[in-house]
Amino acid sequence: MSLNKQENLSVILNKPLDIVLENRPIPTLGKGDVLVNVKATGICGSDVHYWQHGAIGSFKVEKPMVLGHESAGIIAAVGEGVKNVKVGDRVTLEPGAGCRMCDYCKTGRYNLCPDMVFAATPPYDGTLCNYYRHPADFCYKLPENVSIEEGALIEPLSVGIHAARRGNIQSGHRVFIFGAGPVGLLCAAAAKAAGAGHVTIADLVPSRLAFAKTYYTDSQVLLERSTPGEPNIEFSRRMAQAILKTEEPADVVIDCSGAETCVQMSILLAKNGGCVILVGMGASVQSIPISEVSSREVDIRGIFRYSNTYPTAVRMISSGIVNVKPLITHSYPLKDAVKAFQHVKEGRDGAIKVQIIG
Amino acid sequence: MSALNYNPSTYEIPGKNTLNHGVLLNKKDDLKIVELPIPIPEEGEVQIQVKATGICGSDIHLWKYGEIGIFPVTTPQLLGHESAGVVTAVGKGVDTLKVGDRVAVEAGIPCSKCDQCMSGRYHLCPTVIFKSTPPHHGQLAKYITHPARWLYKIPDNVTYEQGALLEPLSVAISAIERVGVKFGRSLLITGAGPIGLIVLAVAKATGISPIMITDVQPSRLEYAKKMGADFVYQVDPKRKDVEIAREIRDIFGGEGAEYSLECTGVESSFRTAIMATKDAGVCCLVGVGKNDQLLPVNNFAMREVDIRGLFRYHHTYPRAIALMASGNLKIDHLITHRFDFKDALKAFDTTADYSTGAIKVQILN
Repeated sequence: MSLNKQENLSVILNKPLDIVLENRPIPTLGKGDVLVNVKATGICGSDVHYWQHGAIGSFKVEKPMVLGHESAGIIAAVGEGVKNVKVGDRVTLEPGAGCRMCDYCKTGRYNLCPDMVFAATPPYDGTLCNYYRHPADFCYKLPENVSIEEGALIEPLSVGIHAARRGNIQSGHRVFIFGAGPVGLLCAAAAKAAGAGHVTIADLVPSRLAFAKTYYTDSQVLLERSTPGEPNIEFSRRMAQAILKTEEPADVVIDCSGAETCVQMSILLAKNGGCVILVGMGASVQSIPISEVSSREVDIRGIFRYSNTYPTAVRMISSGIVNVKPLITHSYPLKDAVKAFQHVKEGRDGAIKVQIIG
Repeated sequence: MSALNYNPSTYEIPGKNTLNHGVLLNKKDDLKIVELPIPIPEEGEVQIQVKATGICGSDIHLWKYGEIGIFPVTTPQLLGHESAGVVTAVGKGVDTLKVGDRVAVEAGIPCSKCDQCMSGRYHLCPTVIFKSTPPHHGQLAKYITHPARWLYKIPDNVTYEQGALLEPLSVAISAIERVGVKFGRSLLITGAGPIGLIVLAVAKATGISPIMITDVQPSRLEYAKKMGADFVYQVDPKRKDVEIAREIRDIFGGEGAEYSLECTGVESSFRTAIMATKDAGVCCLVGVGKNDQLLPVNNFAMREVDIRGLFRYHHTYPRAIALMASGNLKIDHLITHRFDFKDALKAFDTTADYSTGAIKVQILN
């Protein structure tokens, strides 16, 4: 396979609200690196957020940055010392590489590595391009029966797997999920894979729940918005009581919304001794019903991305434990990247996961 | 006053003319010593002459505020739940205890049938009766009855006062287990009250290191230093919790403590403890404070610092007794004041008044 050295079309965020397509040089490989011809990339809410706001929390876009981090592709070249993949292999990319040397990396919590290099988190470029350099040890071969498009869903599936593990979901458990977007749906899939006996999913949007009904959930709850002027905690108590009329308290509640009311409801809906897993990112300070946390021993655990999930995710898809294909609702060629981002932002036509195909 | 009733054989089986008294909370701010009937043990219960009862912050809170956590005082009730005494009568069907046995009282009586109880987490039983949590009577009386199943014999070398310390010791053991800290790992304890100090003592006895303890009062910190705390930190309540947390993290070498136990119940202290805990660490709330609190959610969620609450204890009494009997845990010195039963109200005043320097106050009978 020969590379067209002129052609590395990249989707670049110049500054907020300004995405351009430009050719960038094809990266040179260091020891342990591979060059991946990126073939499919899913668009994440975080990509849209950087596009719209230029920052997420303390991560700020200060110079033009290539977007995208949910990718799969084909190995185009291998650097010195690479043994786990060869040219032509179809791979999925784990976008965050830890330093491999600090305590966090050594104890398996590499997602917390202080020197983490994560694609499309400033200042590092992402994967929405033709040719992307990546450490070989964070590329995983896809079996014959897993398509590249499915490979690009392994990143958000990893969030679901990590949430399910952090929640210690076990056979027969009752799981309640707030948010029926792609992340919530993949949390449901992971919960079922982990053996959950009953998965309930909740959302504000009826069409999302209609889809969720077909996808790894046993019951669906339509949420309301709070009445104007109603303090969040009062709304949350009222809504949680209403939900408990038809739903039993859950062993694990996963919040994929980040909304303060959903975080509060999550705690109220958990069983004594249960736990709440915070996946969604919301306001930095929130009012938490601590009396429930203390007197009923409801644990609260956040997640930061994932770790040690990719090999598991590959096997889950390959063996049919989870089918991610229904989540891919729309595809765009790389040259129409801006249209793709616009589509995700508008969320129209039942969009769940929009992918850019190279 | 000298430690009373060390002699295991001193007890009085109530006769026709024996009077029973209790410390009754009528309602908020209305505490009296009242005469009570001598209770008769029902099936499965025994009658106990209570020899020593410690006063807890929750007893003071009930007295001053008429409520604790989610439990308001709705009818007059006895206070107290940290007791030890001697069996003076046995009810029908009791064959594990006899008159004269010296016992420590586990104040929580769960149903023993629900899911929580059957999976061993009886402290979370939805219908648990915990003596002195409204609306249930506490143990501050001269004679009480209690199910034999929730009493534990104490060896002769454990005094009644030490027996009454087994309850807060149980909280400390539970806290250390719940947060998951083990030997060689670092621990931040916020609050050097009786719970924080007993946690410190247990942590020292189990090889946890280094240990920092914080408080607003310098005298408490001096006490903690004498007990072997590696670091003490005086909290200035006027400063921002973010800044305090940064200073605490620096003392631990920059990243903070691997584990933290919040033993004040004060919101700003909980926030500080969270922010002073290392990534991937655990912060466990032991103290009881406001029902709703503003917490730095992104800070703990995105650093995968787990937040756990603690509700009382379970399966701790046998270990607490063994620890106490071994002599390896020296916490008697935490009992700073002792009062005879007739001076119970003075005991409460002393406990509630910081200027007395009281740590654990006990009422002896």
